[in-house]
Amino acid sequence: MSNDTLPSTAPVQPAKPVKESKPASLWSDAWYDLRRNPVFIIGGAMLVLLIAISAFPGLFDTVGVDAKTCSLAQARKGITSEHWFGTDNLGCDVYSRVIWGARVSIIVGFVSAIVTAIIGGALGLLGGFYGRWVDVLLSRIAEIFFAVPSILGALLILAVIGRDNAGIGTVVLALSLLAWPMILRIMRAAVITAKAQDYVVAARALGAGPGRIMIRHILPNAVAPVIVVSTINLGAFIAAEAALSFLGVGIQSPQISWGLMIADARNRFLEAPLPLLFPALFLSLTILSVVMLGDAVRDALDPKLR
Amino acid sequence: MRVTKGAQIVAGTALLALAVAACGGGGSSSGTGSSSSAAGNAGAVRVEIAEPQHDLIPGNTTETSGAEVLNALFVGLVDYDADKKPYNRVAESIESTDSTTWTIKLKDGYKWHNGEPVTAQNFVDSWNFTANGANAQEGNYFFGSIKGYDDLNPGEGKTPTATTLSGLKVVDDKTFTVELKNPFSGFPTMLGYTAFYPLPKAAFESEGKLKADFGGNPIGNGPFKISKPWKRGTDQTISLVRDDNFKEGKAKVDAVDFKIYTDLSTAFNDLRAGNLDIMDQLPPEGIATAKNEFGDRYIEQPSSGIGYIGFPTKNGADYAKNADVRKAISMAIDRKTITETVFSGTRVPADDFISPVVSGYRQGACGEACTYDPAKAKALFDQAGGAKMGTIEIGYNADGGHKEWIEAVANNLRTNLGVEVTPKPVEKFAAILEDLGNKKWSGAFRMAWIMDYPSPENYLRPQFGSGGSSNYSGFASKEFDDLVTQGDAAKTLDEGIKFYQQADDLVLKEMPYIPVYFYQTNGAYSQHVKNVKIDPFERIDLFNVEKA
Repeated sequence: MSNDTLPSTAPVQPAKPVKESKPASLWSDAWYDLRRNPVFIIGGAMLVLLIAISAFPGLFDTVGVDAKTCSLAQARKGITSEHWFGTDNLGCDVYSRVIWGARVSIIVGFVSAIVTAIIGGALGLLGGFYGRWVDVLLSRIAEIFFAVPSILGALLILAVIGRDNAGIGTVVLALSLLAWPMILRIMRAAVITAKAQDYVVAARALGAGPGRIMIRHILPNAVAPVIVVSTINLGAFIAAEAALSFLGVGIQSPQISWGLMIADARNRFLEAPLPLLFPALFLSLTILSVVMLGDAVRDALDPKLR
Repeated sequence: MRVTKGAQIVAGTALLALAVAACGGGGSSSGTGSSSSAAGNAGAVRVEIAEPQHDLIPGNTTETSGAEVLNALFVGLVDYDADKKPYNRVAESIESTDSTTWTIKLKDGYKWHNGEPVTAQNFVDSWNFTANGANAQEGNYFFGSIKGYDDLNPGEGKTPTATTLSGLKVVDDKTFTVELKNPFSGFPTMLGYTAFYPLPKAAFESEGKLKADFGGNPIGNGPFKISKPWKRGTDQTISLVRDDNFKEGKAKVDAVDFKIYTDLSTAFNDLRAGNLDIMDQLPPEGIATAKNEFGDRYIEQPSSGIGYIGFPTKNGADYAKNADVRKAISMAIDRKTITETVFSGTRVPADDFISPVVSGYRQGACGEACTYDPAKAKALFDQAGGAKMGTIEIGYNADGGHKEWIEAVANNLRTNLGVEVTPKPVEKFAAILEDLGNKKWSGAFRMAWIMDYPSPENYLRPQFGSGGSSNYSGFASKEFDDLVTQGDAAKTLDEGIKFYQQADDLVLKEMPYIPVYFYQTNGAYSQHVKNVKIDPFERIDLFNVEKA
């Protein structure tokens, strides 16, 4: 993560005890901070575990999620050695479904976060750097999207396009479409600040073109807040996916999603609470770990906010 | 023609919710808790209903909440005994020699709540009003079998050429005749239904035009009369008091309050707390506990509904067109476990196209085809080439609490037939029906049927007759049509049954629909009342309810 070519005039450099003789950079400092932050360690470990689960659910589950493993006669049973989290209303193993459901949450969360960071970041960079009509145009477009309440907007988008092709793709599309303007604003503000710095003026004086200035000088110094916000957004996207699936417009059966599991189990919650509690627990833990991670990253990258 | 979209609440218990679903839970406000009991009569028997879909007009009421109230306000020509057999009430006799022309004689002594006697003209006026397409009454189609109906309902865009049914003739004050288009021995069984109630002279402003306020302040001929005008959408209680001049004697209770609820769970809590006396349907989550909690005061009885999985047999996908595949699918459905687990025992496995509540039902008529046998199902499925016919789609309306059982059926098929199954939720049942009508729906679909009148014919012709009003499968068989017509033409309903059953056998062989479950009525009542009976139309016999 370290960037040796970064000018020493990089912003926000509080005094830090640095062991190595290497010149301190924002990134190396941040990494140094993060390694020692228990919040980051715990959140990161949980997230790594969840990523592993969603990458290889087959390694973690016990009985699988094939329809053949469901037995209606076994519906709504409690915890047994075979069914660690009990069984749901259709007699399917809750534990295995929770494991397989992680995949949807993780994919939707990460893909949406990355897509919005790239789109919002790129447009923010252009708008902030060029200013004038480019900025005005991009900012106004962003504001149009910004004005739509995100869950409502996503509901609308999914209700229109998602009827026949509901799935991870459409959910990501709906969430990204409404979330990129936030990133654009943050990026734009950071770029405008960075643009006025002496090292940019120096680079321009040396004859660097706009592309080189943007990529080599402004981006590395303006991307930190975007990373912080995207990390925090990751949790919001995971929650939004669950909410949309719960409302019936997101992921559709037979795909498995925690939101869907919660929706299916709620009618019989009093009779059989386990099929609702476990996906809800995993959803909460996932969001918690992402939020912890986001906090730690923010602290490290933006110490002034601490 | 009562196709039902399913309970509007969740997982749906009784038909009340099913039939009323058309109004989409139109009630404006809920929370009719203790406050509304103050608005009603003191000491009245309190009965749960959903908000009636329309004002209290017999011909415009085809859902069960409104019918519940009208059943207390009116009596019809016939009523139904515990065996679902019609017996005469206002009618002295209903006779015919050829099953086509019926002579109906009325008893003396039935009076309207305003003191006027009930006459033959009252029935004819009421039926003419409902049968007139221009009045847009929900119960209009009930009169389709009477001569002259087509003149009143010439179809979209055309002007009716008559204002009265030519088949209805008043002979004298107490006698009128009905001429049908075709012989129909089951005609008297229809006459207890809400749409066939009479209307008093006072109901009409001028000939054929109903007074605007009649629906809120109806004058009936039944054991109870309305105690204060009811405003639909505003008043959450419909209050009735006993009519002491009722011919059959005084009802055992002084007053009845119908309390309007939008949520069964709220009503059930009121019932437990003693703020409500009778519920003829319980919320699904309450049923398991209600049996123990209410003991003798818990009611469980068969009701007239049947739940199906249907197929567009003419225009559908390959699997929908193949009778053997349909039979294999039927055999792969574990009806017993689904009714016990998903419906908590509030449904029973179906084994006939004729419901157990009407005569003509034969236990196990469906035989092997409705018996759960995964091995045989798989063998038949493979033999018919089902494996190569692609993913099976099962459409259902997402607002009716059907998801769970459709998913359960899907799992059955996936496991037992090794086939891919996609349950396909659709927002509204009407959307599926529309697509079916336009031949755009290719997959399987859920379907349900509630009887309009207790005759096996009602389960067969509308759904499976060529050009039947609710024939969504496209099933068409001349032999079937002939058998049903023969059944109609038989001298008595009992003689007609064997023809209906033969027709039933034809449908069972082809399986355009797969019968999955029969509905049941689950009700309960408080300690304040006793002798609560529910008829096959889900109506409570309030005349005989007593204070405990």
